[in-house]
Amino acid sequence: MIEISNVTHRFGNKRGAAAPANVLENVSFTIADGEFVSFLGPSGCGKTTMLRIIDGIILPSMGNVTIDGTHVRGPAPSRSMVFQEFNLLPWRSAEKNAEFGLELEIQKTKRADRERIAEENLSKLGLKSFGGYFPHQLSGGMKQRVGIARALSTAPKYLLMDEPFGALDPMIRELMQIELLKLLSADNRTIVFVTHSIDEAIFLSDRIFVFGARPGRILDIVPVDLPKPRWVDDEKIKASAPFVAYRQRIWRLMKDELQRGMQHAD
Amino acid sequence: MSQQVQVLEPPTTILSEIWARHQTAITRLAAVVIALGLWEWVVRAGKVNPLFLSSPSLVFEKLYEVFADGSIWPHIASSAEIAGLGFAISIVLGVPVGIAMGRSRFIRDSTEPFVMASYASPTVAFLPLIILWLGLGVWSKVVLVVLGAIFVIIINTEVGVSSIDKKLIETGRAFCANEREILFKIIAPAALPFILAGFRLAIGRVLIMVVVAEFYASTSGLGYLIFQAGANYDTALLFAGVFILAGAGVILNSAMRWVEGWIAPWQAKNSD
Ligand SMILES: Nc1ncnc2c1ncn2[C@@H]1O[C@H](COP(=O)(O)OP(=O)(O)OP(=O)(O)O)[C@@H](O)[C@H]1O
Ligand SMILES: [Mg+2]
Repeated sequence: MIEISNVTHRFGNKRGAAAPANVLENVSFTIADGEFVSFLGPSGCGKTTMLRIIDGIILPSMGNVTIDGTHVRGPAPSRSMVFQEFNLLPWRSAEKNAEFGLELEIQKTKRADRERIAEENLSKLGLKSFGGYFPHQLSGGMKQRVGIARALSTAPKYLLMDEPFGALDPMIRELMQIELLKLLSADNRTIVFVTHSIDEAIFLSDRIFVFGARPGRILDIVPVDLPKPRWVDDEKIKASAPFVAYRQRIWRLMKDELQRGMQHAD
Repeated sequence: MSQQVQVLEPPTTILSEIWARHQTAITRLAAVVIALGLWEWVVRAGKVNPLFLSSPSLVFEKLYEVFADGSIWPHIASSAEIAGLGFAISIVLGVPVGIAMGRSRFIRDSTEPFVMASYASPTVAFLPLIILWLGLGVWSKVVLVVLGAIFVIIINTEVGVSSIDKKLIETGRAFCANEREILFKIIAPAALPFILAGFRLAIGRVLIMVVVAEFYASTSGLGYLIFQAGANYDTALLFAGVFILAGAGVILNSAMRWVEGWIAPWQAKNSD
């Protein structure tokens, strides 16, 4: 279980810059094991920052992060991150990138095992024949999928995904959503998923955390009660009355927030 | 569509094909041939005294001679020994220092003044002092070569290490890599292209320093040979020595480029 209580974060003051504002302010929530939660919100509202805080890459300025009862002081193998900007190692092929986490001492995985796992994950993500390609030879969407394969390889209990489908075209994106749900259905992982797409959040999530900006905070938490598994009759689900109602409710929230932000922008 | 586009292209002949493929090589070769031809011509036409300039034909004749009778090999071996030792020591010492400077602000701030000053100053000036300390043996020359080559290696390594994308280090940490793994699996490969470029730049300086050291503190080696040839007005032999050094420089340089391309193929993304 992920427990966030009263987290406030501001980044260090850069010389010459104005005093830093709070990127996140007084954020509290809990995420239960096995839940699929989405962070939805305008650009710059602190979604990536919140994800990095959950992972332990950065520690919050104030507040508490507790995972499975332990105070988070840094990254742990129970959590894997899919980075918004891929962060693949350019000198490694797709396969070697997907193996990276397993190569580390903390995972102690035999070479044959990690090669097999990397290959399995790549092929589950539709990259079977691209194992030998280097990142600069892959499209944005392919790079993101290599990033997902890398994150999955260490079999994390918590999968933190930062706009993993951001670089995909809308059609492939919908297919990948279905593939992701199928991929995850086998094991009971907890997912925190960042997205800008309202439809994507509704389709995938058990709960949606709608963020507001300046300072970053949670405006509302929307539980999504749609039939599961969602990939069965997905087109019906997306056209169903409850789905449309969720979309309306969330859009209204976001529209108010965005309009408020526009007035403050100048 | 594609057929229409093809019609617009000029018809390809074997010659235009060769040109398209080897344009750079052909241009380079032509420039060299023309330069050598001009040189030969000014000497043969009597415009310049061959004592001052020799001529390509005389130089190549001399080159053939010294290789045929084998008299050149001891000199090459002696120079190669100094160059090899000096280059190896520069790498073994320079790379760790560069990495330490790139990783630690304290180390960088405290060593940078010395590195920069040494890099910019003519270290050859220390040769008399080095000879005083170490005598006329191999080591005084090796030390001079190290002084000439190490700083460019240190500086390139430092730049490579400190300019690494912080996100990649963060990625390593997110997967719980330890310090050693961060160094060897992330920092070292990321800095490798810079480090190799430093090696390549160092090679040129190694060759210069070998020659200079052998001018003053030697009884063998290409530098000694060139110096003696100059003293004896044997201009053809002087140029023969220079040609051998230039050839070694060109070969080592392209070898390093090839190694860079082979070890760091992802860098190709910058060029295409
Ligand atoms: N390392 C940093 N140093 C200083 N400020 C930062 C840093 N990282 C993020 N910020 C600031 O924090 C705020 C939130 O950034 P964050 O990346 O968390 O937003 P986001 O919600 O993920 O946005 P997007 O949807 O565009 O990815 C932004 O105003 C950004 O400028
Ligand atoms: Mg983000």
